Parts: sequence; C-alpha cells; structure tokens
Amino acid sequence: MPDFAIEARQLVKKFPARPGTGDKKANGESSTAPRRRWPFGKKEPKAMFTAVNGVDLQIERGEIFGLLGPNGAGKSTTIRMLCTLLEPTSGTAHVNGYDIVKQANDVRRSLGTLLAGERSIYWKLTGRENLEYFAALYHIPQAIAKKRVDELTERMELKERANELVEKYSTGMRQRVAIAKALLARPPILLLDEPTLGLDPQAARRLRELIAELKQEGHTILLTTHYMEEADQLSDRIGIIDQGKIIALDTPEGLKQRIDQKEIIRLEVSGWQDYIGEKLRSLSDVENLVARRQGEADLWEVNLQASNSRVVLPKLVENISQNGTRLVNMNIVKPSLEDVFIHLTGKALRD
Amino acid sequence: METSLAPRSLGQPGFLSDVRAFAAIIRREWTIFTRYPSWIIALFIWPLIFPMMYILTARALSGPDGSGLSVFMQLTGASDFIGYIIVGTTVWMWQNIVLWDVGFALRNEQMRGTLESNWLSPTWRFSYLLGHTGPQIVSMAMFIAITALEFGLLFGVRLNGSVWMILLMMLAAIPSIYGLGFAFASLVITLKEANAFVFLVRGLVMIFCGITFPVSILPGWMQSFAQWLPQTYLIHGIRAAAFSNADLNALLPDLIPLLLFGTAWLIVGYFTFVWMERRARRTGAIGQY
Repeated sequence: MPDFAIEARQLVKKFPARPGTGDKKANGESSTAPRRRWPFGKKEPKAMFTAVNGVDLQIERGEIFGLLGPNGAGKSTTIRMLCTLLEPTSGTAHVNGYDIVKQANDVRRSLGTLLAGERSIYWKLTGRENLEYFAALYHIPQAIAKKRVDELTERMELKERANELVEKYSTGMRQRVAIAKALLARPPILLLDEPTLGLDPQAARRLRELIAELKQEGHTILLTTHYMEEADQLSDRIGIIDQGKIIALDTPEGLKQRIDQKEIIRLEVSGWQDYIGEKLRSLSDVENLVARRQGEADLWEVNLQASNSRVVLPKLVENISQNGTRLVNMNIVKPSLEDVFIHLTGKALRD
Repeated sequence: METSLAPRSLGQPGFLSDVRAFAAIIRREWTIFTRYPSWIIALFIWPLIFPMMYILTARALSGPDGSGLSVFMQLTGASDFIGYIIVGTTVWMWQNIVLWDVGFALRNEQMRGTLESNWLSPTWRFSYLLGHTGPQIVSMAMFIAITALEFGLLFGVRLNGSVWMILLMMLAAIPSIYGLGFAFASLVITLKEANAFVFLVRGLVMIFCGITFPVSILPGWMQSFAQWLPQTYLIHGIRAAAFSNADLNALLPDLIPLLLFGTAWLIVGYFTFVWMERRARRTGAIGQY
C-alpha cells in the first residue's frame, strides 16, 4: 500500500489569461507560453495566469487535511487536478498511489468527490434515481448498489423523501444527496470542496459531524474551505493556501502557536473611518490591522496584533475616540486561524 | 494513522459494469426527457408545421388549375408532390434536431452543473454522448412515424414501396447524422456557443440536398458540392424506396456513399470528442459555464 493517500510534488497549473479580467499578473508574476501565429510560423508570448504555483502535499491515510484559503487562492484548482478534471501544467501527484495523469481512471475509482454541491446532481430525477444512476457510473454491482442506496438515504436522513424529485428538496437536502453520491462506492479518499457552502448553520453543523464520523470509519478526507472555524474544528492538519502557494502547513495548534507571542486585540468601533486605520497602522507596536464592517449597521470589527497590549491600548483608545468615532467593545483574544492567515498574508481570509 | 480501517471501494470494473453504466445513462436521459411534458406537443405539431410551408407554397405556385404540379412531378419523377416534400423536410428536421439535441447534450450538462460529476466517475467518457443518442433515436423514430401517420391521414399520402427499404436507408443514415452531432457536441463544449454553426449546416442541407426540389436543377458546382453531403443520398434513397418501389440493388448507389460518409463522420465525431476531452483537461473548459 502506498505511503500517502495523496502526494503532490510541485504542482503547477497555468491557464491562458482572459483579456480584461486582470488575470495576467494575479500572483505578481508575468508568465508566458509559446504561441504559434499561423501561417508565418512565428511565435509570440501568450499571457498566462498561474492558479496553482508549486504546491507540495503529503496527506496521510485516515487524516482530515484542511486546505484553507480565500476565494481564488487555488484550492478548487488543486482539488480539480487531484480528481483528474484538470491536467497539471507541471509537477506530479499521486492519489491512492496512482498517477493523476497516467492512471486517471484508477484515481477516479479511489475517490469520492464533492464539487459544485447541489448542482452536481439531476434535479429532474428523484434522490434515489440519482444515487442509482451514479452507482452504475461507479461500477457498483446492482444488488450491492441497491443496499448501498438504502443505507445512504437512511444515513443522510433522506429516506422519507427519496422518491421525490430533487427539484422539490431544500438546499441542505440536495447537498446531502451530493454527499451520498460521493460516498456511494465507499471510496478510501474523499475530496470535499467547500462542503458547507450555502448551508444553514444547523445543516452545516450536521455535515461537520458526518465528516468527523467518516474519518472514524477510515476515510482520508481532503477538505477545502474558507470557513476557518470549520478547518480548525475538523482538520488534523491544515495547509494555508494563498495566490496558488501553500504558505503554511501544520496542525491547527501548531499554526496558532506561530503567533503565540503576539496578542490579538479585537475592537468593535462605530463610525470607523479609513484614515483612523492608517493612523493606527503607523503606531510602532501595531501589526496586521484589518477592519471589517459587520452587517448593515455602521459597526466595524477591527482586528490587530501587538507584542504588548498594555503599551498599545491607551494609544488605540486615544486615536479612535475622535470626530464621532466611538470604541464600543474591546477584547484581547486567543489567536484563531484567521489571525494566523492575517499574520502570514496581511489580509483577512474573506477579503 | 488508522491504515487498517481504510475502506475498500465497492466498484467492480469490467465490461459488464461498462454496459450497465451505458444503460444507466440511456435510462437517465429517457427519464428526464419524459419529465418535460412539452415534448408531446412538439412531437405532434412540428411534423405538420414545417412541411406545410412548402406544400402551401407549391400549391400557390402551381397555378389556379394546378397545372404547375404536373410539370413539377414530371421533373422529379414523383407521383405525389406532398410525399416528395415531406421526405426532404423530415430529413432536414432530423438533422436539425440532432444538431440542437445531441449537439448541445454536453453543453446542457455543463450549464446544469452535472457534467463534472459525470466526468469524475470511472465510466468511459464517450458513453455520455453515446448514451444521449439512444433516447434521441427513439424520440426521432416516433417523430418520423407520427409524420407519416399525420400526412397519411390528413393528406392521403400513400407509400408505393417497401417500409423495410425505407428503414434500411434510415439506419444507414444514423452514423453520418449522429457522427456530425458528436463532432458538433465536442466543439460546443469548447466554443460555448455554436448557434451560427447550426444555422450554417442546416442551411447547407436546405439548399444543396434538394429537400423540396431535385438536385438536378442546381448549377453544376452546386451539384458537385451536394455529392459531399450524406443527406443528399438519404433524401434521394428514401424517395426512391417510398414512392418508386426501389429494391436493394436500386438503392445501392445511395446506400454505399451513405455508409462511407457515416464511417467518416463517426471517426471525425469520436476524435473531435477525444481532442475536446484532452483540451478541456488542460484548459479547465469542463467546469466553465
């Protein structure tokens, strides 16, 4: 049995840049590939966008590995390469010991993948018809498929409505059918791309419980998310990805320890102005300040990191309380994964 | 790590599994098709509407005493001008529907979001396109049967030939009509939009294949071009089989080129699909809407 469930070495994926989208230098690099101009045979450079830029991954069997990063960081492109929908521009990867390019079909047999959630199933078929259809595509013998569909509809709490058209289901139910689809062939490795996206809090919690159960059953799970609490709660290890590169990889605790010497100050401010942020950033002890509006009200959450809060706090209060801006609440909190992300990139995860 | 607990996949690859997967694709397509009830209306109305345009034009142009029709029948060798027209228009509609239906099969899956989830399975990817063709051929056979029934009942069109010979011509046409559809489906995934190409192909069939007139009235260069379109042979062969009681020997000049074109179009269709599938893996075209 191969050493790792998933192993990637220097995975790179480049796409032709789409004109007018600002793709060209998305990660600060100019990249070119030869392009033939017919009929003269001359070559001209073609602008390329690097979505994944040298990703290395070694995921142990039975592990939940979280790939955490903002939208557009390269999480989905990495998953799409691992599940053989995309071919890497360079680098290699093995899933369950199979090469993702040369043994693509063996890779697909080893994987259960959740991509695009509720849109990945047929809305004009019933939940049961969907599962029976995909069971056939995954080459599960008919008798086993029938039992497996019964088992999964029961487990996903779909049994009562398994014979109704999916178009009549709620988003959470459709997501459960999509997850049941990924589990049909009982694959050793699961790739779950943003599994709780769009779910209500209760459905998301139930799904997180299910992911934890699947780990107990021996599945290896690669989970991408931009919800830091989810990655923190579920993952044995986390890779933080930004601009196509893994910028940190450790256990959630290990990542947080990286900024243990820093204190995280969380402020709630009303009437926030950008210039106040500039003033605070210029203070010698303040690092990685990020301000975010909370909902519709004129209330802002301001996070910053400091070496010594006792020195910084009076200066913060003095600079904030002017021209109608008011400090509403203030906490010194334990570092979260988002603080780690801010520390590493200087920006918030959901920016 | 708990390596001993690693689950074993339930999938059992093999020829029979591939056959079951292919059957599942056909069943899925048929089930979805029957859950859109508007197809029944299309099935009964369309076979009448399109040919009527040409039949009424022919009546209007034949003069008050209908004498023009006898000239037309003399030129074409047909005994029934309505039958002559409906063969051409039905072949045109067949190719047109295949271009829209099979041609946009993968694109529709892509827009629905299900193409990727199919592509993620270990099933042979060309079977998604082949599987879509099964229900399409059945619905098209129903369409053609209803056309024959409606014109037989409403306009008194009668066969003067063998139904088996007509079926033989139609079976021989399936590879070329659907091969073109496969190539088209693969291009649509790459181009995302191909309405202009549908209009071009059906326009060529309309003008060059003689759907309402004999190809012999076309200028020489157009007749030469018509020989490169399999629909020319299909229309000519069905007319001969249906209204001139042509036997197998008489149909061979139409059957042989039709089969040769069919082989060529199936090869073109398959390799265009393989090219598209490979290109999509490099560019990510499968996941783009």
